Amino acid sequence: MERRLPQFFFVLSLIVLALMLAAVWQAGTPAWKTYQAEFHRLEAVGEPNAAAKSDVLNAGVVIKQELLPGLQRVDRCGTCHLGVEDPTMKNAPQPFTFHANLAPHIAARFGCTVCHGGQGLATDKQNAHGNVPFWQEPLLPKDYIRASCGRCHKEGEVPGVPELAEGRRLFETQGCRGCHKLNGVGGTVGPDLTEEGAVRRFPGWLERHFLDPNAVSRNSPMPNFHFTKEQARALTFYMLSLTSEQMGTYYSSVRLIPSAGYGRQLFVEKNCIACHNLGGVGAKSGPDLVGVTKNHSAGWLDEQLVNPELVYPGSIMPAYDLETNARKAIIAFMATATAEDAQSILARRAKPLTAQDAAIEAGKQSFARFGCVGCHGLQLQGGVPNPNSQGGEVPSLLHASDDYTKEEVIKIIRNGKAPPVDNSAKPAPPLYMPSWKGVLAEEDINRIADYLWSLQKKKEGW
Amino acid sequence: MRRRTFFSWGTAGLVALGSAVSLSLGAVVRFLTPSVFYEPPQSFKIGNPADFSFGPPTFLAEEKIFVFRDREKGFAVANAVCTHLGCTVGYFQSDERFHCPCHGSVFAADGTVLHGPAPRPLEWFEVTLARDGRLRVDKDHVVPASYRLMVS
Amino acid sequence: MMNPLRDAWQSIVRRDPLSTDKGKSEFVFLNVWLHIHPAKVKKENLKVKHTFYLGFITFFLFLILVTTGVALMFYYRPHPPQAYQDMKDLQFVVYLGSFLRNMHRWSAHGMVICVFLHMCRVFYTGSYKRPRQFNWVIGVVLFLLTLGLSFTGYLLPWDQLAFWAITVGTNIGSYAPLVGSQIRELLLGGHTVGEAALLRFYVLHVAVLPAAMTLLTMVHFWRVRKVGGLSRPVWKLRAEKSAELVTIGAPDTPAPLAVAIASQDKTYGLMEVVTGKPIFETVSMEEEEDTVFSYPYAFFREGVALLATVAAVMAVSIVWQAPLEELANPAKTPNPAKAPWYFLGLQELVSHSALIGGVIVPGLAVLALLAIPYIDMNPSRRMADRKWAIRAFTLFVVVNVVLIIVGTLFRGPGWALVPPWVHVVGAE
Repeated sequence: MERRLPQFFFVLSLIVLALMLAAVWQAGTPAWKTYQAEFHRLEAVGEPNAAAKSDVLNAGVVIKQELLPGLQRVDRCGTCHLGVEDPTMKNAPQPFTFHANLAPHIAARFGCTVCHGGQGLATDKQNAHGNVPFWQEPLLPKDYIRASCGRCHKEGEVPGVPELAEGRRLFETQGCRGCHKLNGVGGTVGPDLTEEGAVRRFPGWLERHFLDPNAVSRNSPMPNFHFTKEQARALTFYMLSLTSEQMGTYYSSVRLIPSAGYGRQLFVEKNCIACHNLGGVGAKSGPDLVGVTKNHSAGWLDEQLVNPELVYPGSIMPAYDLETNARKAIIAFMATATAEDAQSILARRAKPLTAQDAAIEAGKQSFARFGCVGCHGLQLQGGVPNPNSQGGEVPSLLHASDDYTKEEVIKIIRNGKAPPVDNSAKPAPPLYMPSWKGVLAEEDINRIADYLWSLQKKKEGW
Repeated sequence: MRRRTFFSWGTAGLVALGSAVSLSLGAVVRFLTPSVFYEPPQSFKIGNPADFSFGPPTFLAEEKIFVFRDREKGFAVANAVCTHLGCTVGYFQSDERFHCPCHGSVFAADGTVLHGPAPRPLEWFEVTLARDGRLRVDKDHVVPASYRLMVS
Repeated sequence: MMNPLRDAWQSIVRRDPLSTDKGKSEFVFLNVWLHIHPAKVKKENLKVKHTFYLGFITFFLFLILVTTGVALMFYYRPHPPQAYQDMKDLQFVVYLGSFLRNMHRWSAHGMVICVFLHMCRVFYTGSYKRPRQFNWVIGVVLFLLTLGLSFTGYLLPWDQLAFWAITVGTNIGSYAPLVGSQIRELLLGGHTVGEAALLRFYVLHVAVLPAAMTLLTMVHFWRVRKVGGLSRPVWKLRAEKSAELVTIGAPDTPAPLAVAIASQDKTYGLMEVVTGKPIFETVSMEEEEDTVFSYPYAFFREGVALLATVAAVMAVSIVWQAPLEELANPAKTPNPAKAPWYFLGLQELVSHSALIGGVIVPGLAVLALLAIPYIDMNPSRRMADRKWAIRAFTLFVVVNVVLIIVGTLFRGPGWALVPPWVHVVGAE
């Protein structure tokens, strides 16, 4: 050891030097530098003269990032995806390809990951695309990228993404809330879906789950709703949009896109045709709204919707509580509305209801909205499996009047009920009637009972 | 231990170590040099040429620049930060001059100091046309006051 | 000589040339960083098989940790969730960021292992016996400080691994009787692991514990020097039936200044200025011949140990990435939630009984460790004379290692016993 100590020392010093060089080489040759150099070569091809070419070729390689405090993100995708806003790169290979139809979602304001997913902080391909362990937001497959529109545009219609509105509609009408909470309202049998888009950002899993819950989540109490592929996709889009993220005011101000399509929806919802007409078709108490956008400024029309009394003292038009973009949507609709629109609206209008029928209709809507249909079925037929309960399934409500009085049913809705157990040695049945006290107003509970009893009567006719 | 072998191996080892140490000093400096800045970028796009009016300049508050558009000569971008102590100057159409509210510096429309404590004229930044048709301002490149970007 | 370059050089080094004996002595004696070394050391103490240089390696790992730690401090903010973002930045954006972070993490694990191995070596060579008892106690405290530094540093990345390991670790601590919950509240600055906990752990990790470690290390090294250097290698110990007494003192004073039990170690005399006759060193002639100058013998051996340590840490850091899981999520507990590996033995014990396993047994173990030099009445350092002590300590080591292995490899979701080769389908 003594004799060879100097050699040891020398060899070790060399090893340390070599390791240091290796570390420095590793740190100094990230892939993005190669990509940037390649992009500069591509750019230089398009430059008109030698001086411009050399300017481009000698431009430094540097990490490019978009700081997005309003979205709480930092996106460094532009370090490699350099041609995103360069139309001359339309036919360039990835990662340099031009991104068509980007406006108004320019990179400086939106970055990339809020729509595409991925890990914006990363600067190498695999980590940036997010297909790595411990990153919950991988790159979305191409077909599902439009679902991200719903992360900001949470209400109304999103032009080009009908799946979002359809998914939302299915959620409200198929009774999902019966088992799943969303924004504080709903049952507790299944997981809370308020942040489903944040915690389970895997469209493949979500879609398979909607087509057959038990195939992906073994022993799940969720029944198979037999959704079509399109419906499953719409619901998947809707789930992906449920991210509950904090956003700066610039982004949250467009929760609602003021599109003419949504304006038409509001026109129907608020029943404007009850007083107004379009091109002569409709009621005559208020003026014809065709051409109104040509004769009045947008500001005047907006004020009309906010405070009609102020614009026309003595006006019988009620003041609707509509947010800014909702009003813009209605105005957008009026810019394109025709008499044909009025005719189709009138044709689809339901006839006026008696007070009793209105109560039953309200009860029916609550029954759907609060998720009762999720367990008791759209036709109240029950049948959803509930292992180890007596009868083995959720009961049908069509013969409720045979076993209970209306007051007893109201009590069950208010206080909830655990199903009678078949075998006490086995685990308790997973599904139960939750208590709706505090969630549903007494009035709503009564109306649901009215709705149920309205169906009982029909059965008695047999 | 024979002195001669020790001398050559040992010294060689020290030389190798010395290089490693110098290399590590360089690496430390590079390590401390930031690769990204948590600040608004120095080079940014401000919009399409059509978004900017002729005549009095458009003031962009966040970026602290004035965007001039001249019918004959084209675009020019001035720094709105006073060269005295960094306050934001304002442009007044009445006298076509920049006035600084902090200590009263006055600049002509081309940035030269007319009076006040400002030591240097206002800076002009390079403005170019990006390939997507938008204007790009680069605060890292200061250009003479006569610089213009002609946009057809 | 009126050579200005030579004068300039002399003004810095102030010593005679290294070719002279005086120069060699002055190289360590006059140097503030090196003068903890004696001018001469015993050749036998330089042998690798004597101590395996474990003390030095542990200290060098600490130096690596301090330098890489300070470097990392330039980019790390101890506030959630920026802390996690800064870890990502170190990995993706900072030049040599992931390399330095890896060096820091792997040195930390290495230091815990080496300080434990060093403790074992000191025990097996009986080097805690008179007059080194209190230095052993300081060593045990240094060991606990090492664990404390590793634990406080573990939280800083603020990922799921960090968050839940510290949640489990602080919960184990809360089982201490009377003061348990107070200790936990002090550590966390609250009731749960949150912003306050991260800041406190950060201050402990970069300021308080390193300062304590540095100060105690100084004392630890000092005491080794003052007691005469490293203990005599075990292969040189002669069989002794009874202890031999020697007197230390001036030859013609009425009473000796001190009476010591000769443990066959070298004892230095004190260099003091007293009136009267000088005090003699009790150094035998035979020992005198076996010493060599610290420079270059000890110096270059330590240099090799330092280089080997640095090279090993660098190699490991280039190849293996330190883990970084997803952002800490208080609402989502991983299953199983495991403490850092050096506490997994403790967690295994706690899983059987919180009070006995988590507080009493480890508490007694630490007290026993601290008390070893004062319980062990056997004056001999020879392995043959200490069979039971060696068996007891080996049992302690083996139990620790087995518990940690069980906790690491054999515990799956719900802390159920699962062999490591069974692929557990993780909860979604």
